[in-house]
Amino acid sequence: MSQILLVDDDKEFTDVASNIIEFLGHDVEIANCLEEAYNCIEFQRFDHILLDFMLPDGSALHLIDKLNTQDKVPFVTLITGHPSVKSIISGMCGPNVNYLVKPLQREDLELVLSGKTKATKKAKSSAITKHFGCLVGESAPMQELYEMIERVGKTNANVMLMGESGVGKEVVAHAIHTASNTEGPMVATNCGALSRELIGSELFGHEKGSFTGAVGRKIGVFEQAQQGTLFLDEITEMPLEMQPNLLRVLESKRVTRVGAVKDIPVDCRVISATNRTVDDIAQSKVLREDIYFRLAVFPITIPPLRERLADIPLLATAFIEQLNAENDTNFEWKNAQLDQLKSYAWPGNIRELRHAIHRAFIMSDPTGTEVTLPKNFESPFAKNQTSTNQVTAGQTIDDVEKELIRVTLEKVEGNKTLAAEMLGISTKTLYNRLNAWENQAQG
Amino acid sequence: MQPTQETPPVTTNTLIHDVRNPLNRISMQAEMVKLVLENDMPKEKAIAALDKILIACQDSSAALQKLSEHSRTNNDG
Repeated sequence: MSQILLVDDDKEFTDVASNIIEFLGHDVEIANCLEEAYNCIEFQRFDHILLDFMLPDGSALHLIDKLNTQDKVPFVTLITGHPSVKSIISGMCGPNVNYLVKPLQREDLELVLSGKTKATKKAKSSAITKHFGCLVGESAPMQELYEMIERVGKTNANVMLMGESGVGKEVVAHAIHTASNTEGPMVATNCGALSRELIGSELFGHEKGSFTGAVGRKIGVFEQAQQGTLFLDEITEMPLEMQPNLLRVLESKRVTRVGAVKDIPVDCRVISATNRTVDDIAQSKVLREDIYFRLAVFPITIPPLRERLADIPLLATAFIEQLNAENDTNFEWKNAQLDQLKSYAWPGNIRELRHAIHRAFIMSDPTGTEVTLPKNFESPFAKNQTSTNQVTAGQTIDDVEKELIRVTLEKVEGNKTLAAEMLGISTKTLYNRLNAWENQAQG
Repeated sequence: MQPTQETPPVTTNTLIHDVRNPLNRISMQAEMVKLVLENDMPKEKAIAALDKILIACQDSSAALQKLSEHSRTNNDG
């Protein structure tokens, strides 16, 4: 049973919704404006807040700002009349915020309160099947993947997802979470995006005053994911010196906040992800062997898009249907266009395909039904691939990586943010690599 | 007659918002009726929810009428 705060200025809606939420087994408090919501959060802790985006005395973002100063930030679901708010949410809020579009149904409430995802309403009437509510594709490699997700979902084994950048590792993590019978939420964090100083606090939390700047208690992601799923992206970018602490938590299932004396039991499945291969992980020694075996109890390799070209028409249709739903348009693919999409290798995988379709969508006449595709999909990724084809036997992976980063930086005239984006890594990771090589050169 | 400064401008977005709200109530009240029927709860609860759906249908209709008039005024203007 969770403590829920429902914030909406429509009193009839809050009355009926609270009845339904109570029927689903949760405790509900109602606030009909921001002022009432502030009062509620001051005196009571909530696990989940259902929040109307526009309130008579301000925006939902004001309340989210206030919540972010609390010790334990509850999960927030914004209730909005328009799906375009999704882009605002992803830009301004963290991973603990999602959204629902009016008109709501009981199933919507059940899913968000259980921390699971579902297909959009448009997708329900679509011919595209979304496996586990989020995965698209009927090819043989995907059928194998679905079987693995189904099997591991019934266990509490830790999973390591491997695959090239852009194959959809976080989406697969969501699918595993959906396939699991867990009560808790899925919490995601990117190990490559955190500084060495803050990673311990992010993972394990900290007590007030435990270090300079620790003005309040912080709950780490292990505790936030209690009874649920913790997704650790770019796990191989975690500093080696932090890995023994992670190993201790994985082995003991107890976490000690930074600056605390007592440990706290934690119970969650850990799904980690990396774009390195097993061989690369072993050779480059970016992950301790004992940690690897704890995290990769069930390793899953997600196939690159070029190995499942047959899924491209389904993916392209799913993406265009989503864009149609979000923008109230009626675009459709022609067979020749789907063939054109299938003829390209998509080295940036599904992420690149999605971006290409989004670009084409923007370039198309919104009053028509035809998508204007470019003549070719040449991208910096394709050029990188050409460069990496020039590798010779005997070169080390480090050398190839160094050359790839050098060529990419050259291409974007030294713009590290753009280079990191093209390489599919975080800017922090790129800086770490460059600093490491500089130190090697000096040492 | 000039509008006073306190009068908020009526925009298409505001009117669409006014249509969505009763639709949201209809959806949730319909879910309430399903809950009552599926769980053998007192039928008065279902009847109360159905009455609210009927009112919300009238509200939707009125909101759509306003949207239609707004659209006609803007097109003529």
